[in-house]
Amino acid sequence: MTDAPPGIDLNADIKLDFHTVSLTESPEAEAEIRSLLHDNGLDLDEQVDTFVVCRENGRIVGCAGLDRDVVKDVAVASSLRGTAVSLRLGSVVVKLAAVHGHHDLFLYCRPDSVQWFRGWAFHPLVEVPGVITLMENNPLNLPKYIEKLSRERRPGTTIGGIVMNANPFTLGHRFLAESAAKDCDWLHVFVVKEEAAQFSYSDRFRLVTEGLADIGNVTVHHGSKYIISRATFPGYFLKDKATVEHCFCGIDLLMLREHIAPALGINRRYVGSEPLDATTNSYNAGMKHWLSETPSAAAPIETIVIERLTVDGSPVSASKVRALLARGDLGGVEKLVPPPTLAFLKQQFTRAHDDQQAGR
Amino acid sequence: MDILKNAIAGTLESSDVLVKVSPSQDGTLTLHIQSEVIKQFGKQIRATVMQTLEALSVSAATVVVSDKGALDCVLRARVQAAVLRAADATDLDWNVL
Repeated sequence: MTDAPPGIDLNADIKLDFHTVSLTESPEAEAEIRSLLHDNGLDLDEQVDTFVVCRENGRIVGCAGLDRDVVKDVAVASSLRGTAVSLRLGSVVVKLAAVHGHHDLFLYCRPDSVQWFRGWAFHPLVEVPGVITLMENNPLNLPKYIEKLSRERRPGTTIGGIVMNANPFTLGHRFLAESAAKDCDWLHVFVVKEEAAQFSYSDRFRLVTEGLADIGNVTVHHGSKYIISRATFPGYFLKDKATVEHCFCGIDLLMLREHIAPALGINRRYVGSEPLDATTNSYNAGMKHWLSETPSAAAPIETIVIERLTVDGSPVSASKVRALLARGDLGGVEKLVPPPTLAFLKQQFTRAHDDQQAGR
Repeated sequence: MDILKNAIAGTLESSDVLVKVSPSQDGTLTLHIQSEVIKQFGKQIRATVMQTLEALSVSAATVVVSDKGALDCVLRARVQAAVLRAADATDLDWNVL
């Protein structure tokens, strides 16, 4: 055997081992990952628990965090940049995600690393300039979704959009949609698809559809991974956090402005004033900034805040309905929700009650 | 061969190719190719993928190919592996391959 000439095989003398670690199970690995991320100018994202790590002689020299179908916190030690380590890391991440059923992935990175991740077969979707870029690795999904949406395009000069979680649909949602529909030629309502809410997506979607059925100029759309999802807006699903990072909020809103709104011609976004929920409040504040003030290739979208409906002097909200429900106060719930939601909640409540009885 | 589920084969490393195969939502065959050598070999890559799919009687699927300069034989093998995984195939006629 002869030695390879110098400079030919960059990886010949590097013994690399790829495996996954769970941060909760391995505090030592967490410390090492934190320091590697720090060297790369990154902070550990608290939502990520699973990391693919690359070890050289036991030391972690590369890492990539995986939160379901979202890749974050990718770093490679400076000594190994320019070698094939990055691409091997990428391959392992893609394969690991596939094993867990996630075939199409999103990825967060700094805008100056976009070129690097093109090598991982990701392409950029939207960028908060100088801060963060969201990429994805299936080039067909977004165009397919946009094409489907654009078939629902309606004529008119003022086209409104509302995004709601409706967990569950209340008179507040109804009031917001009704006011918006009166104010524009056509209104498109999106229901957040992520299954992170107390009520399932199919129940939430059905109650929104039923609750708005009598308004003539409204289309209710299925949500997607591109509107307030774990991928576009991770912070929304961490309600205990007091504030949502400005930039994540920007990713979701720019996604709407640059991709979704143009498909439907949406030029107004309606939103209820938010006196109760800090996350939603911060999102609303960011809305004006990202939808109209910040420069973008896409046309600006006007943000219109509608004063929230109050019943007995206090604002109606889905979280209040959930709180009343938890106390079994159906009388209180009745004042805050429209008939289809009430019927659904009563049915659920009775069933839960029966189960409890049967359990005793 | 019917594509029943998502499957992948290959890697992102140099001289290899990553192939993702998933069920078609509208009964058509959609092929997307990204390659560092698309200008030089795009046509050839497309032809090889289409031939391989045809040999496996795949007429409805979504196929995404991320090529890193794989040779034809590598490309064929990766497409075959992804399709066979996606079709849950266990009983194979190796002659047609």
